[in-house]
Amino acid sequence: MTDMTPTEPTGNQTRDLSGARDMIVCENVSKWYGDFQALDGVSANIKEQEVVVVLGPSGSGKSTWIRCINRLEIHQEGRIVVDDVELTNDLRNIEKVRSEVGMVFQQFNLFPHLTILDNVTLAPIWVRKKPRAEAEAQAMALLERVGIPEQAQKYPGQLSGGQQQRVAIARALAMEPRIMLFDEPTSALDPEMIKEVLDVMKALALSGMTMMVVTHEMGFAKEVADRLFFMEGGQIVEQNTTEMFFSNPAEERTKLFLSQIL
Amino acid sequence: MSETSSATAAGSASGAPPPEVTRLPPRQWVKENLFSSPFSSALTIVTSIVLLAIARALLSFIFNPIRQWNSTATNMQLFFTRAYPDEQYIRVWFSLAVIIVLTSISMAVWRAGSSIPLARLGRKLLAGAALLLLLALLAPFSASATIQWTLAAACVAVIGEGVRRSASKGGAERTVSSLTVLVVTLAGLVASLWVVPYGHHTYIPSRQPRVLAESGTVALTTKLPWTIMLLIAVAAYLMGGVIRERLPVNPTRITLLILWLLAPPVLIYLVLRDPSFDMGHVISTDLPIFAAYALGGSVILSWLTRPSTGEAGRILAVTILVVGFCTFLTPMRMVVRLDMLLLAIFALAAPTFAGGPRNRKRYVLGWLGVLGVMSWLITAINTPSTVSVPGGFFIGGFSITLMVAVFTIVLSFPLGIALALARTSTMPIFRLLATWFIEFVRGVPLITILIFFSIMVPLFLPRGMHLGEVAAVVIGYVLFSSAYLAENVRGGLQSVTRGQHEAADAVGMTTAQKTLFIVLPQGLRVAIPPLVGHCIGVFKETSLLAIIGVFDVLYIGRIVIPGQTEFMGSTKENLLFVSVIYWIFAYQMSKASQRLEQRTGLGER
Repeated sequence: MTDMTPTEPTGNQTRDLSGARDMIVCENVSKWYGDFQALDGVSANIKEQEVVVVLGPSGSGKSTWIRCINRLEIHQEGRIVVDDVELTNDLRNIEKVRSEVGMVFQQFNLFPHLTILDNVTLAPIWVRKKPRAEAEAQAMALLERVGIPEQAQKYPGQLSGGQQQRVAIARALAMEPRIMLFDEPTSALDPEMIKEVLDVMKALALSGMTMMVVTHEMGFAKEVADRLFFMEGGQIVEQNTTEMFFSNPAEERTKLFLSQIL
Repeated sequence: MSETSSATAAGSASGAPPPEVTRLPPRQWVKENLFSSPFSSALTIVTSIVLLAIARALLSFIFNPIRQWNSTATNMQLFFTRAYPDEQYIRVWFSLAVIIVLTSISMAVWRAGSSIPLARLGRKLLAGAALLLLLALLAPFSASATIQWTLAAACVAVIGEGVRRSASKGGAERTVSSLTVLVVTLAGLVASLWVVPYGHHTYIPSRQPRVLAESGTVALTTKLPWTIMLLIAVAAYLMGGVIRERLPVNPTRITLLILWLLAPPVLIYLVLRDPSFDMGHVISTDLPIFAAYALGGSVILSWLTRPSTGEAGRILAVTILVVGFCTFLTPMRMVVRLDMLLLAIFALAAPTFAGGPRNRKRYVLGWLGVLGVMSWLITAINTPSTVSVPGGFFIGGFSITLMVAVFTIVLSFPLGIALALARTSTMPIFRLLATWFIEFVRGVPLITILIFFSIMVPLFLPRGMHLGEVAAVVIGYVLFSSAYLAENVRGGLQSVTRGQHEAADAVGMTTAQKTLFIVLPQGLRVAIPPLVGHCIGVFKETSLLAIIGVFDVLYIGRIVIPGQTEFMGSTKENLLFVSVIYWIFAYQMSKASQRLEQRTGLGER
């Protein structure tokens, strides 16, 4: 994943992933908060190197679903299998999945008491047991990749929102994950900072990372996504390839949603 | 936590400089702030009158000729170390010197101190001169004393005005380091010991008359050590500067922190207490126990810190913990039990610090270091002291106040943090035990706990085991203080946002790593103000030592000195003096906490 050259320079339209293996498998995943059903029988397969974007109105269960995949939320029914490891209450499985899955949050969630460099190296040193020098060299390479190597010695509070989110991406990548989850990564950003984060994400998608992105950025979805999921009321209303989704949506609800936002 | 601060980046903006803040001339400042409206004028006048009346009452109390201030001056030694033998007094000075050296080096390494503009220093001196003049006019002095105090005020005023004038010379604003001011002030005080006839007062119980009072400067045994202390402080500060420039920062700071932690037990138990080690017993029992734990522990820990050990390691660690608790049910040496518990703690923490050969070696070395210090401490505490003093404990007065406070604070911090973590833990047993303990201890008066530990606990101890009275009381203090501390820490832990927990989880940290690297650093920072408040509380509560018959500084000021036939009824004077000592230390702690908050707040601006 440190390889910067895009494997598929022409983007999503020409990719054929039918032969690739499944990285994330969800079968009938359901979850309740008290009496409120947040997820209602969600089933989906996401293939290696695939980039999927999850759309939907607020409260439709997008974030809950993505957070179930590294068990920040616990699903109550159904099965979730990530990279051939099923998520159960077994702590070892959870730790294994979490070290394979990187996550980027809406509110960045950088550690405010650590410098940018320490934010990125903390987990590789203590979870992956890497020697410090190696972890720091890798962190500097990642900060270079997201375009802010000169901020390494600053604290998160001294950076702009867009810079913080790029650090958060670098922090997730430092664990060398096979899957990246993005939970509304640009929703807390000022408009002029959204582009810098999306550019980093596009480069990451082109490098062949398996990605699952919850976002409202339609431009990003059109340009990068292989497949789109549209959710409402805790269910997947429609899943389709990007082209079909925008040009010829199957469901009435999807059409209504697209007409409201486009 | 971060959305509020996202706009501060982007570097320095170019453009017009901010408008200069102009200082108002004094007359205008007074007009705008104190006499801006009829109401505020009235308030200013009434408050001034009340303050003047209070100041006059206080001054006429202090300077009343019937006050026996010589009772305080004569008993200085009693106040600070009680009956520590004169011929061994060099040990006290040595301990003080060690603390001074550590303080000075730390100040240099951590770059303590700030720069004060000369103009501000001058204004402060002028204000001080005004206060001195006020004192000279308000206090019930004889004419000659009034003239002397007025002259002193005039001197300070001249110096202040000189400093203020020199500040405005040459355009640029001139500043001076706050440490320079401190050293000059201290040097002035120490120099005054050699020149000013304070008189030499001592209380010698074995002689008639017991009070020795000579005119002239203070005794050589007072002024010479203080002069040396000042020189040591300056030399150590300069040395600290060299250390800061030449040596890498982090190892130096960690070494200094370890030295600070070691200083209190080493100074008290080795230097001041001067234990007479029974070498035969040390070689036959203590050394073999240490060697067994050192060897066995190293093997176990070096296996546990291998990243490949996995679940079996956790099972072994828990087994050691259970065995450690079981040792308390069977008769055996205390040191065996304590070492076992220590090993259990190290074993439980081992997976967090697992890694390559270098990490493992460092962890084992850490174990050997902590084990060595603890074994030696237990041996030293169990060895009788050679310092012969009347009464139960070998030091008293302010020394024991400070000692109990330092030990209580240092020991109750880890315990309090552990309790807070247990109370917020997801494991029901820990949560329940911690909650019960905290609620029980908080519901019982401190005096009850102290009396329980000084009287009852020695009765319950297994045969052959001794616990000094002071040690028992310190345990009581630690338990009491840790319960309160745990609640303060818990408040801090709860301020750590859910996002921080999730971010740590998402990168695959274990609960222990998350707690150690993410939750505690942030939670403790938030808890600094209540924690320092708690430390000040602990420091003042040590005065309850008097109840169980320990001669602390308050007891000496309240009972012992007024009981001397020469100074009957001098309670008020000595209580005032004791409160000034307490205030000086408590105020310094408070200032330190403000500086700590500023420093740790750096990253979050």
